[in-house]
Amino acid sequence: MANIITWARVKSPWVLHFNSGACNGCDIEIVALLTPKYDVERFGVKLEPSPRHADVLLVTGCVTQQCAERLKRVYDQMPQPKFVVAIGACACSGGVFAGNYNVVGGVDKVIPVTAYIPGCPPRPEAILDGVVKLLNALSPPKPKKQPKQVKTPELPKEEAKPEVAKPEAVTQQEVKPIVEEAKPNAKQ
Amino acid sequence: MRRQNQTPNSNIDIINVIETKLKDKVQIQLGQLGKAAIVTSNGLHRDVLKAMVEADEKTAIIAITGLDLGANLGVLYHIRTSNAFLTIRAEVPKDNPKIQTVIDIIPGAVFHELEVSDLLGVVFEGNRLPGHFVLSEYWPEGVYPLRKDVKASEIKLNPPPPEEEKQPEYGKIVKIIIGPQHPALLEPEKFAVTVDGETVTKVEPRIGYVHRGIEKAAESRTYLQDVYLIERICGICNTIHACNFVEGVEKILKTEVPPRAKYLRVIALELNRLHSHLLTLGHAGLEIGYETLFQYFWRDREPIMDLIELTSGNRVYASLMTVGGVRRDLKDTDLPKIKTTLEDLRKKLPFYRQIYRDEPSIKARMQKVGVLKREDALKLCVVGPVARGSGVDIDVRKDEPYEAYGEIPFKEIVYTEGDTWARMNVRMNEVEESINIIEYAIDHLPTGPFRVKAPRVVPAGEAVNRVEAPRGELFCYIKSNGTAFPERVKVRTPTYANIPAFLKTAIGENIADVPPNFVSLDPCFSCTDR
Repeated sequence: MANIITWARVKSPWVLHFNSGACNGCDIEIVALLTPKYDVERFGVKLEPSPRHADVLLVTGCVTQQCAERLKRVYDQMPQPKFVVAIGACACSGGVFAGNYNVVGGVDKVIPVTAYIPGCPPRPEAILDGVVKLLNALSPPKPKKQPKQVKTPELPKEEAKPEVAKPEAVTQQEVKPIVEEAKPNAKQ
Repeated sequence: MRRQNQTPNSNIDIINVIETKLKDKVQIQLGQLGKAAIVTSNGLHRDVLKAMVEADEKTAIIAITGLDLGANLGVLYHIRTSNAFLTIRAEVPKDNPKIQTVIDIIPGAVFHELEVSDLLGVVFEGNRLPGHFVLSEYWPEGVYPLRKDVKASEIKLNPPPPEEEKQPEYGKIVKIIIGPQHPALLEPEKFAVTVDGETVTKVEPRIGYVHRGIEKAAESRTYLQDVYLIERICGICNTIHACNFVEGVEKILKTEVPPRAKYLRVIALELNRLHSHLLTLGHAGLEIGYETLFQYFWRDREPIMDLIELTSGNRVYASLMTVGGVRRDLKDTDLPKIKTTLEDLRKKLPFYRQIYRDEPSIKARMQKVGVLKREDALKLCVVGPVARGSGVDIDVRKDEPYEAYGEIPFKEIVYTEGDTWARMNVRMNEVEESINIIEYAIDHLPTGPFRVKAPRVVPAGEAVNRVEAPRGELFCYIKSNGTAFPERVKVRTPTYANIPAFLKTAIGENIADVPPNFVSLDPCFSCTDR
């Protein structure tokens, strides 16, 4: 049962976006992630309006005095296990606004943070990369071992180094017909 | 409908009016802080303002700046009339900082006064709120962050009071609290909407959730550092914020920017406007449940983001502006790419225009929703597409051309309906005008240097500057004390000036019409709060 839950969480994390006093730069990049060019939904990531349904909390902004309390409250409302991603330089450390009179500075001063994505603002690719890395970290240890087991049979290939060129040629030949088959399909 | 209108009283000499009405009582300093600075005392600022409103219906308060002058607190009323831009100066003693409000003369001043009273402690008699408007509710009494003797590190907030269990209220009249964390809002801000059945009867705003204290922070950084700090007021219209500040500093320095830099700035500013308008046009689709439109607009916004990256090296924060010019030249080899991308966007525009014109769902959700009449728009001092959607023809690019806008032909888009639909159509048409402007600027790009070297230390002086941001007129006031650090930087953002329009138009509406109406004002709380 636990495996199924972890599988569901990794395959389709529901994220909640909270702006804790950001300049909108990171926020529009998060929205850009949802739109056709980056389309994060193909990884199963879904933006969720309610904290009670969310697995991952994406926090942007430097955490202003007014938002600190609300951020804590939103975090408390999320069900366990929960993960927090701090997006942008402000969320990581306060950024240019660190030390201002109305700024707490850094999400980790209010709630625990799982992943940091620096940048002002980070590119959508960077946010995507951060989320994927977080999801990999969430994956249960068993699937992690599996790729290692897959790699071990490859070891004999490395020993037979002179034969490397031949398999490459074979793969190219194999790939070509697939592409040709795919083209008429695309036309249809 | 779109029209090129003429204001009947655009030839009034407002200085003359004040001189004849209030001779000897006020001191007029020509050429300072706009067209003139009018120094008043003993509550005469109200008389000056009254005279101006009587003479010119387009008199509007752009901003109110509070200054810490040592023993006194200065209050500057920045006024725009149909053809001039001037400042009324008043001073109040620090130990008894009371001044009479002007909201009975110009209702649009209400939030400007509240901000000054919250941040600087000036008491505007007749316009007070029980709590804080911008600052945290736990903010200590009697501490005003913009005063010079207050240090950020020494401020200690009051402990939060113990939570009380609130009994839910039942009945016909319900208070719906939107925000700070709400699916309809991308940013934290709170609006308490009182609803009678389905009809909105009252809206109480509480802003300040994104207040980062940028104005105070700017005082402890050099002018060059401030360019990047001020740019971070808003991630959407960042270039224009930097440009506004840089122009203000150049006014004090009396630096003339080379012509190529002026054109390069125009290209950067219009790219910024393009991406901002496309974003809003799509966001409006999202709020009325037309998600396809949202995805379409954001898809077509991405090539513009690529152009911003091409011209500046960064997707969101262009960081192109610097005192004396721009930081990066535009390569000649990049120009065709810009043109083809814009041409592609232009080809898609008729489709979008048709959607906004004919689509039944857009018509049903936007037409006759949130109607702001011309008289109200003038009274509430709204700016930008909100004003132009209500038939008020104000556009700083036309009224007081900055950079190269005086040399570039473009149309000022004005609709007279005043509803949500009109405001969105103003933006829709401005997208095309922006494309025209960029193409004209690329075709007429002068050769020569793209920046001049400007001194780091700025001589003592004051400057006001205003530019047309995507959301409307953006204003800044810079006071220099002869060092490398500014004495005071004040930025009034267009979204701050447009909040009264939302409070006015939402009342009497259906609760379901609140989101599209709100988005049509193009809200941006990071701008609003700073």
